[in-house]
Amino acid sequence: MVEPDRKIGQINPFNTTKASHLSDQEIEDYWVDIASDDGYGFLEMAKPTSAMPMLILGGKGSGKTHLMRYMSYALQKIRYEQDIISGIKQEQYVGVYFKCSGLNAARFTGKGINEEIWGDIFAFFMELWLAQIVIEIIIDAFSEREEFIQNEADICNDIFDLFDSPDFDRPSNLFTLTRTLNDLQKRVNTSVNNSSLTRSVDVKILVTAGKLTFGIPQIIVSRLASLKAVQVLYLVDEFENLAEPQQKYINTLLREKEGPCSFKVGSRLYGVKTFGTFSANEENKEGSEYEVVYLDANLRKTKKSYSTFAQRLCERRLAEAGYSTFDLKECFKVIPSSKCMEELAAYITSDKQDDRRPYFDTLRKNLEQGLRSNAAIGVRTSDDIDRIIKDLQVPTYTFLEKVNTFLLYQDWYSGENLVEAAAKISEECSHFIQEQKSTRLEQVLSHFKEDLLAQLIREYQHKQLYLGFDTFIDMSDGLPRNLLIILKHIFRWSSFNGEQPFQRGCNISVESQQKGIRDASEWFYNDARLTGPDSETIKSSINRLATFFRDVRFSDKPSECSISSFSADISQSSQRARQTIDQAEKWSLLINIEGGQKNRNSQRVDPKYQINSMLAPRYDLPVSRRGAIALNWEEINAIFDPNYVSEYESLMRERIERMTAPLFGKNMQPRGPMLPGFEND
Amino acid sequence: MIDYTIFYKTKFKPDDEWQEDTRWDLLISAYNDSERVREIFEKANAGEKHWLILHDYAYEETEYPQSGKVFAPKDKHEAGFIQEYVKESKVELNNKKLCIDITGFMRPHLLFLMKYLLMNNVRKFDVLYTDPTSYAKKDETKFTDEVISEVRQIAGYEGNHIPDTSRDILIIGAGYDHQLIAHVAENKDKSRKIQLFGLPSLQADMYQENVLRASRAAESVGFSAGDESSNFFAPANDPFVTASVLQEIVNNLNNREPLTNLYLSPLATKPQVLGFALYYLTEQQNNAASIIFPFAGKYTRETATGISKIWKYGVELPSRII
Repeated sequence: MVEPDRKIGQINPFNTTKASHLSDQEIEDYWVDIASDDGYGFLEMAKPTSAMPMLILGGKGSGKTHLMRYMSYALQKIRYEQDIISGIKQEQYVGVYFKCSGLNAARFTGKGINEEIWGDIFAFFMELWLAQIVIEIIIDAFSEREEFIQNEADICNDIFDLFDSPDFDRPSNLFTLTRTLNDLQKRVNTSVNNSSLTRSVDVKILVTAGKLTFGIPQIIVSRLASLKAVQVLYLVDEFENLAEPQQKYINTLLREKEGPCSFKVGSRLYGVKTFGTFSANEENKEGSEYEVVYLDANLRKTKKSYSTFAQRLCERRLAEAGYSTFDLKECFKVIPSSKCMEELAAYITSDKQDDRRPYFDTLRKNLEQGLRSNAAIGVRTSDDIDRIIKDLQVPTYTFLEKVNTFLLYQDWYSGENLVEAAAKISEECSHFIQEQKSTRLEQVLSHFKEDLLAQLIREYQHKQLYLGFDTFIDMSDGLPRNLLIILKHIFRWSSFNGEQPFQRGCNISVESQQKGIRDASEWFYNDARLTGPDSETIKSSINRLATFFRDVRFSDKPSECSISSFSADISQSSQRARQTIDQAEKWSLLINIEGGQKNRNSQRVDPKYQINSMLAPRYDLPVSRRGAIALNWEEINAIFDPNYVSEYESLMRERIERMTAPLFGKNMQPRGPMLPGFEND
Repeated sequence: MIDYTIFYKTKFKPDDEWQEDTRWDLLISAYNDSERVREIFEKANAGEKHWLILHDYAYEETEYPQSGKVFAPKDKHEAGFIQEYVKESKVELNNKKLCIDITGFMRPHLLFLMKYLLMNNVRKFDVLYTDPTSYAKKDETKFTDEVISEVRQIAGYEGNHIPDTSRDILIIGAGYDHQLIAHVAENKDKSRKIQLFGLPSLQADMYQENVLRASRAAESVGFSAGDESSNFFAPANDPFVTASVLQEIVNNLNNREPLTNLYLSPLATKPQVLGFALYYLTEQQNNAASIIFPFAGKYTRETATGISKIWKYGVELPSRII
């Protein structure tokens, strides 16, 4: 909660964007559930009382840690401050949360020691580690309760008997037992830590793998009546921090799970290195040994629910920081959309001294080249060019001139007589302004409005506009942390610019939003710190893909509108390319679009991927997804397989040329005699 | 409580005459393209001089230096590398007047070497470090290829950690490589992060460059990145003050509320790395404390230009061997 003497505006309410940086109390305070109509929230998704183990997978910032910590004992204790035991009974589980990074598991490998030996030692170490966490929880929850005092000695005896060959005294109470477990763990640590010097490891394994992990909960539940029918839920976070053999050990626990225990294993999408187990090397199968929840994919599925959830998440942050609640959409200045986009035109032309129209300059150049190459039907003289441009002019409405220009490029591509086409466009434009009848302008704007605006903004040398709360939600695309990071940067710029962000009456300026959003996008790009040898390949591939999308978007006649996605039959591409796509998806740089895309020619459904919208400002791409460009296997290889990168330039140039005047990818012969002044390029 | 600042530290200029106390039986140095590494190797008065060829610089055999004895152990792990060198060179480290030029060393190798010397009863030796005039590309200098293969504990600095992570602390010796800072911070995500900056820096402008680069890791470091109580300073070229500052930070935090696990990650200058090693070996062995490091694929062979000053540190390791 906000400290009473803290003034609003001094602290950025979005400063902390990671659940791991939040205290237990903040996890509780900032908890917001998804808002689905059928009451299906995060806990319904995670099913903490289900006996079936679950993998909770999601991209970075999808909320895995927040959800898993919310189910932990520490949070249960906050929720049921008065009587934790009845709280546990009510929720029917007790959450044993730990992060795999705390195990420092990388030391259980190498050093000239057999990996099988490391496997046994790691399993023993984990037994001791988990046993300590479970017993600490029991001591904390029960220490003053009569049923515990009466049963403590029996519990200790039972736990002692779980050891195959204990070399320590029978403990009289649980506190002594944890001390003993800690000493045993120290012995393991010392031997493991010295092994880099001694090149050997001397650890006596005192208990069979799984014996304490399942045995202690069984003893506790059977000895303490209040825990009857309560599940001990191991919450294993940051699974990606374990090496393959160590993951195999956890997988084995999932496979050989005994009641009253179950598991939720949280991992990033790329984090699961194996489904293998030590149970006769069998692999765990989804639906049989575990179920999976894809957190961000689930959030993306229901756009409306995610939008409401995201809004509530931000409102909660602001409320906790002492801000009064009001419609967040009101907090950001946006440039209103209108039929002829007069306000946007005014914004982009406000700093221009002359009345030059950059799109007409380019068109004129293209028409002149077309004339020289015999590639502009109907254009015979420079007077024809002047006439065409004159027909497209609508001096009051800059945006409509841009639309007219685009229509002419469409006609040019279709092989129309351009002089006649321009006259027709002029007529249609008048109808459009006077709203007399349906015109081609409406049709084009229903698809290409955003792209034409983007082109116009670029032609007037402004930065692309990403404005408004809804845009930021769209950019975060199922990863709530990305939204918080966007708002954090915008808040920072807004404060720096002397505004009073999120206070009533304050409209965060376009400049603050622009700067904040670009910082957030740059952060996202740089934060994709992929670990391992393929990281450069993945990043370069994303660069190539995004650059290609940008070239399409800003071409004379883009083949697709709002291009940020591609579809392809990737089974035809190289294995390396498929691997790169898979890894880019696992690192959330690409988003797999459920349902794929039907191929226009073969009717086959191909997988479809969208480039993460957080990258949109970096490459001037749209945030919303509409068109998807179909790529063939050669193009996929050239983008995603380093062995074919040399073909990227020519393949993509070929594509873009098809969208570029004057030739639109066609091979034309220059006309015979040239008019004076048109001889040379 | 040990006072690290009583250890000897002297400086001299490259053109100064090397004094009598700068005469050793053995000089160990790690080879790279830096003028400051090669020149010191040539000038130092030592009966025997050993070059170590580290894998991280990816030298071909044809590029090995011609002077001194060259050792290129095959083991890539810091512990295996140092042990292989000692075995191959048949050098008896504990009856020699030893000097180590740490300027070109990789941090993990330097750290393990300190531990190895301690384990082999080499308690007193000299360490040389040469300040550069500047880094090649100012605040854009890249020291690694920034592809991190893993973050792990350094051999010999793997502590006895405990499951309770509620008051874990990660102290980062914040260097120029913001990617390294970010990786290590994310690896110990839940810990409270404290950054130790080099101030005074090696050269006047390096502090600003350092802070500029480190600020790019702010999102990973978390809110504490901008929190005054989480930023500390120690001279970039003083291992002893670095050890003292670490001692002060940890003692203060422990006095307020006992820490659960302590992680140290020296990513800044080599003298600071030496300070982290001294502090750990003197005060944190066998505790719930580790030194962790983000391992990068490849390191730049030459990052600095010029020679500013040469520092000689008289290192004394604790007698306690655990």
